[in-house]
Amino acid sequence: MSSHEIKNEVYKFFADIVFAKTGIFYPEKDYYRLDSRINNLMEKYSFETSDELYHAYKNSKTADMETYLIDICTNNETYFFRDTKPFDALAKDMIPAIQAQYPHETINIWSCASSTGQEPLSIIMSIFENLGSATRFTFDATDISTKALSKAKSGLYTGLDVQRGLPIQLLMKYFEQKEDNEWQAKSEILSKVNYSSFNLFTGPFVPEKYHVIFCRNVLIYQDTENKVEILHKLAKTLKPGGFLILGAGESLIGTKTDLAQKSLQNSMVFQRPNETSTAA
Amino acid sequence: MKVLIVDDSNSIAMVVGQMLKTAGYEVERAKDGKDAINVIKENSNIEVVLLDWNMPEMDGLEFLQYNLEHKIVNGPIIMMTTENKPEKIMKALENGASEYIMKPFTQDVLITKIESVTTGGE
Repeated sequence: MSSHEIKNEVYKFFADIVFAKTGIFYPEKDYYRLDSRINNLMEKYSFETSDELYHAYKNSKTADMETYLIDICTNNETYFFRDTKPFDALAKDMIPAIQAQYPHETINIWSCASSTGQEPLSIIMSIFENLGSATRFTFDATDISTKALSKAKSGLYTGLDVQRGLPIQLLMKYFEQKEDNEWQAKSEILSKVNYSSFNLFTGPFVPEKYHVIFCRNVLIYQDTENKVEILHKLAKTLKPGGFLILGAGESLIGTKTDLAQKSLQNSMVFQRPNETSTAA
Repeated sequence: MKVLIVDDSNSIAMVVGQMLKTAGYEVERAKDGKDAINVIKENSNIEVVLLDWNMPEMDGLEFLQYNLEHKIVNGPIIMMTTENKPEKIMKALENGASEYIMKPFTQDVLITKIESVTTGGE
């Protein structure tokens, strides 16, 4: 791997592309965070220098190069039952509240940055364990990274993946061991998830489609303007009374949505009011 | 919080002990199940046991079964072993293990598994 100096012009070029495609913002002081990504691209496409990569990308980039760049620039760090509390809050408070408000509807849930699938499967296991597998719901899970989606769709996890956050009892119940200490999510949970590619930055967003949206640890990578825009779109995508779950420590401060903050099972969640429409 | 490592491998006990100490845990060590019984008798403040499966004198499963009968451990027992077959895992759970760590693992797996059985994952 090359350790040569990368020109500011090259950093800016790739930072702008990543921002335009994903909304992930690399300010100039954080350009160093692009080093490993640029080196990764150079290695993958056999360029000796970042200048060569830059010129090739600028003049004759392929769709494959762009997909790869997005894959390596999106943060796929995830694990089962991350932060634990939102999963309890969903099963014990949010779903019962939604069932009471919409007694004849199937509950629509969306994990909008589902990465390699640990979050959707955790949500489904939590619903099954707390409310039973007969609970009526649909589950859409989306991500911008095709690489992450591919792993999510396979439902195949390493021995280390399944030890990160997943209680052993649930591993035994919902996964089967494959060769080489890999573990396959059973069809009863995997088949509940409808995975697809989606760019939160560009949409499209269907108004009032979902009762619950998980959007955790996504907005922290966005600049304020994008964060506000995405939050407003997500708020409109929620049904009245529906819930938005952000990452631990993420807030709506400064975003001027009319979502109401609530503490459920010691987890901060945001609810779309029933009586008013969301701010434009 | 004091953790007892029951493992016949000096190198594994040393590495795991170091992982625990850097995370703020106190550590005791026993080289097999029989040794663990003595260490527990001398240390009433052990709150978690990390238990290997394959050991010379009394193995991990035999220790679990001994504990079911004599109730010497005041706290959760976490298996920490290369045995990763579901039948073995189920056997350990049926005999009183609370969690199960499959080798190889990382420090964050070790610590979060301990936290999950001592604080309910809070």
